[in-house]
Amino acid sequence: MLLQLGLNGCYRGVVRPSVIARASRTLGKRFNSQAVKTTFEKEHEILVAQRGNRPVSPHLTIYQPQLTWYLSSLHRITGVILGSGFFAVTIAFGISTLFGLGLNTENLKNYYKEKVPAWADWTAKGTAAYFFAFHFGNGIRHLIWDTGKELTIKGVNRTGIVVLALTAIGGTALLFK
Amino acid sequence: MLQRSFVKEGLARRALQCTARRNLTIPFLSTLPQKAGGVVGTPNDAYHPPAVDKMHGSYHWDFERALAVAMVPLVTIPLAAGGSISTVADSLLASVLLGHVYIGFQSCIIDYIPARVYGKNHNYAMYLLTLGSVFSALGIYKLETEENGIIGVLSRLWTADRESQESKKD
Amino acid sequence: MNGLVKQRVAGGILRRGLATASQTPRLKTFKIYRWNPDKPAEKPRLQSFQVDLDDCGPMVLDALLKIKDQQDSSLTLRRSCREGICGSCAMNIGGRNTLACLCKIDQDHKKETKIYPLPHMYIIKDLVPDLTNFYQQYKSIQPYLQRSTFPADGKEVLQSVADRKKLDGLYECILCACCSTACPSYWWNQEQYLGPAVLMQAYRWLVDSRDQAGAIRKNMLQNSMSLYRCHTIMNCTRTCPKGLNPGLAIAEIKKAIATD
Repeated sequence: MLLQLGLNGCYRGVVRPSVIARASRTLGKRFNSQAVKTTFEKEHEILVAQRGNRPVSPHLTIYQPQLTWYLSSLHRITGVILGSGFFAVTIAFGISTLFGLGLNTENLKNYYKEKVPAWADWTAKGTAAYFFAFHFGNGIRHLIWDTGKELTIKGVNRTGIVVLALTAIGGTALLFK
Repeated sequence: MLQRSFVKEGLARRALQCTARRNLTIPFLSTLPQKAGGVVGTPNDAYHPPAVDKMHGSYHWDFERALAVAMVPLVTIPLAAGGSISTVADSLLASVLLGHVYIGFQSCIIDYIPARVYGKNHNYAMYLLTLGSVFSALGIYKLETEENGIIGVLSRLWTADRESQESKKD
Repeated sequence: MNGLVKQRVAGGILRRGLATASQTPRLKTFKIYRWNPDKPAEKPRLQSFQVDLDDCGPMVLDALLKIKDQQDSSLTLRRSCREGICGSCAMNIGGRNTLACLCKIDQDHKKETKIYPLPHMYIIKDLVPDLTNFYQQYKSIQPYLQRSTFPADGKEVLQSVADRKKLDGLYECILCACCSTACPSYWWNQEQYLGPAVLMQAYRWLVDSRDQAGAIRKNMLQNSMSLYRCHTIMNCTRTCPKGLNPGLAIAEIKKAIATD
């Protein structure tokens, strides 16, 4: 890293271009070769053109499955799904109030009871129960981390496993509540 | 991690076979032209951070934590009480939850629909979230004043299937 | 040196003596990411190389150099110290970011090992990512001691043993970029989010009792992108080849500026 910074420093003014030019002229004479004249700007143009071609190396698909980023992704996914559920219900009530559509808890429940088949009901409840249990537990894990505690690999693994165990127990308890 | 990661996952797998020239983006949103190779200048040109803005810096973080901490007892109370709580507790829960969800979604938008890449679409996403939250707040007001609150809705829906079984038995 | 050669020869004899069937070489397949800037239209691909583990050093870097030496001299990678102090040979080996010189080859020769460059980086060639952005970010945190006052006697700025101790676990960072490129937040927003390596160095100067630019250093992080894209995913700490803890350092920064 220092090497790269240092070299660039050279080009950009520590060693004056005239010095480089003189040096290369002397070298050119001695080895009977022709020095190619260029400027920093011209070199940089070539570099920028090359940069435009560069591919991005693979990431999500090749990275090792680890408790760290798997639980973090799960935290966000569960949060977004639970949040969407919350928004769906409250926004429905908001719009109904605004336009006088007459939505209330009772007819929402009736609609749900009649229109939603048992498998969909169980899927929704299972998702909600386990996702909530996980997001709640992992949220507390994050709050502990924010105080600077359990922020080692050992702590991360230990708390992660505790959260997963609590999710299994808590989620099941909620589902059959 | 939601939309972007799913999109990315699909594209990234393809990207290994095809050339992933640029950063991968959400297909249906227009993007701004990006820096060649994600960078401008040489290693000696320092990156310039955005302007100092504590409302989006430490205050925002503090507020986010405060809401998250408040969520813990507010959620525990109805869980412990088995679903029947006072209107005050329910209103508090609903409002803090709205703030919590708003900040969470905002964080997703900043992460996956950044202004740097999506320009105005970033703002539109934020406006949409704010508009949704206003409707949501209105809905919460309705639920707290005329209905049994947010927990009321949840517990009715949660036990809807049991009611139907009981009614069939009758 | 002599001893090492003897040891290796002895090991070879021992292995051959023990397993009668292993006259055949223990060929292990390495799948390596290739992309050539001279043929920009060609897609990046994985190329397989086979290396006899009985005739190769123990580290992944040994295998890579052996391939470059004997099979394909166009294979391009950065390396320098071969002992984990320069940070040049950072790459993604078996799905995990680490230094090739510190990563032992999995001796199960039937399993192939995949080697990619650091994830979500713009690739210059093969295993060489462009670190310009990373260095620009490092420069932006002003990684040097800043003071407005100096001791009257003109001698060095003193520090207590306890204050010096705060720098342990921070100053050892070799800026190999393993942690930053392991971070999903850095993958999505690396042009604006500073990433764990640079933030840990920001903290290193923030906690240095001799530095007096703390207020400026903290202010630089007061926006939504530079620091707060960290969601405590902890891939950084999980992957650090030097065993440091950038995740904790970032949490300490957040704590330190929470009351600002």
